[in-house]
Amino acid sequence: MDFSWTEEQLQFKNEVISFAETKLNDSHLVNDHKLEFMRKNWQLCADFGMLSLSVPKQYGTHTKDIDILSAILAMEGLGYGCRDNGLPFAMNAQMWTVQLPIAQFGTETQKETFLPKLTSGEWIACHALTEPEAGSDVFNMQTTATKVEGGYILNGKKHLITLGPVCDIALVFAVTNPTLGKWGLSVFIVEKGTKGFETSLNKAKMGLRTVPIGDLTFTDCFVKEENRLGSEGAGWSITNHSLELDRCSVHASQIGAMERQLEASIAYVKQRKQFGKSVGQFQSVSNRIADMKLRLETSRLLLYKVAWLKSQGKSAMLESAMLKLQISESFVASSLDTIRNHGGYGYLTENEVERDLRDAVGGVIYAGTSDIQRNIIAKTIGL
Amino acid sequence: MQEKIIKYIEEELANEELDGGLEATEDLLGSGILDSLGMMKLIAFLEDEFGCKVLPEEMVIENFMTVAHVNDYLVSKQ
Ligand SMILES: Cc1cc2nc3c(=O)[nH]c(=O)nc-3n(C[C@H](O)[C@H](O)[C@H](O)COP(=O)(O)OP(=O)(O)OC[C@H]3O[C@@H](n4cnc5c(N)ncnc54)[C@H](O)[C@@H]3O)c2cc1C
Repeated sequence: MDFSWTEEQLQFKNEVISFAETKLNDSHLVNDHKLEFMRKNWQLCADFGMLSLSVPKQYGTHTKDIDILSAILAMEGLGYGCRDNGLPFAMNAQMWTVQLPIAQFGTETQKETFLPKLTSGEWIACHALTEPEAGSDVFNMQTTATKVEGGYILNGKKHLITLGPVCDIALVFAVTNPTLGKWGLSVFIVEKGTKGFETSLNKAKMGLRTVPIGDLTFTDCFVKEENRLGSEGAGWSITNHSLELDRCSVHASQIGAMERQLEASIAYVKQRKQFGKSVGQFQSVSNRIADMKLRLETSRLLLYKVAWLKSQGKSAMLESAMLKLQISESFVASSLDTIRNHGGYGYLTENEVERDLRDAVGGVIYAGTSDIQRNIIAKTIGL
Repeated sequence: MQEKIIKYIEEELANEELDGGLEATEDLLGSGILDSLGMMKLIAFLEDEFGCKVLPEEMVIENFMTVAHVNDYLVSKQ
């Protein structure tokens, strides 16, 4: 295992950081307050080539294929440079749970129809798996797709869908063969405007408030056969394929955010004086800084290990569960430590310290809760 | 090949103790002998043991329903 980066990879990361710092940080405070999605920033990221990182070059804006390690490092840079944690989160959702499955399982027509529109920022897509009655137990879903002449009729409801309220297409998981359980799930690309397909308004939430999240409803919604992604019954495989990379990349951006948070914390505790000295001189405060550094570096090691395993085409089921658990819980713990270190200043929204904590909590829930990650780890090592 | 797969599933993966051993024609997925994690471990084992690459689009019930299906699938890849 070699943890060194090439000059080219580091240069790309630095370009992403400087792009994010100069272009993406002008309105996030207001957007967070008003639950506003910044389509302008999404487009800037697309133009910069960020959305193209998860697809072969012919469907995106890059002149060569981007390897997974470079993509992960770039997403880390985005998390570091972009003070709106919601934007990298939403981009990752589209890149790894919609674009990647289409690139891997799609027909040539599907790839040509959908990928360039998504990577260019013209269209937005969501991944619809969770339902009101099927969260952690997601393969127990109720949404059905009944085979009819020329296609399928979809009925059901999807819940908590990132980018759902603004999506142009949705990747929808539905039961095509109820007798086969999780092996009887299929995936459909449903386009906005299709009769019987409705999206809810954006829901108010604790964090990641710049990302529209909502429900999708399907009522006798006819979807053409050519919009089925992969074969009938490929639903399990499609989720599994994208999961490890999604866990890797979305958390790469959180590593970037944790690094930014640590640097800001160090700067603050050095300049804030109480009892005649910097508060960073008090061991209670510096211990918290040391813990934050430790969480950052252990999380980063796991991230690079998973990215390396994926770059070698290896499975990373245990490692990606440990990664998801470690980073998401670390981001929550370090965000709380940061607020403690900033005192009352950190509690005020205008100072942009408390927002990280609100944004971090979603990470211990989405893409499999921390409890589920612990179950996977325990089971994988023999329990 | 078939015996090796049966032995691995019996010893490492089966969710419950299998009465009288695993048959090559027994339903692995519908019966719950293998859950999602078991399936992924089985794939990792097949790749290591038989030097093949199971492509994501090949991870479907037609190839993994029973040990006999897995065997046929591996033979077809050789
Ligand atoms: C910000 C955000 C974005 C999301 N985006 C998407 C998206 O784009 N697409 C999508 O499909 N879904 C999305 N989700 C949904 C998400 O995947 C689910 O919320 C998650 O899988 C948990 O399901 P649930 O909310 O129904 O909780 P439940 O499954 O009801 O869990 C409730 C509690 O029970 C625990 N629990 C449940 N089962 C077990 C078990 N077997 N062992 C131990 N503990 C258990 C859980 O850990 C949790 O503490 C998103 C969620 C959030 C918060």
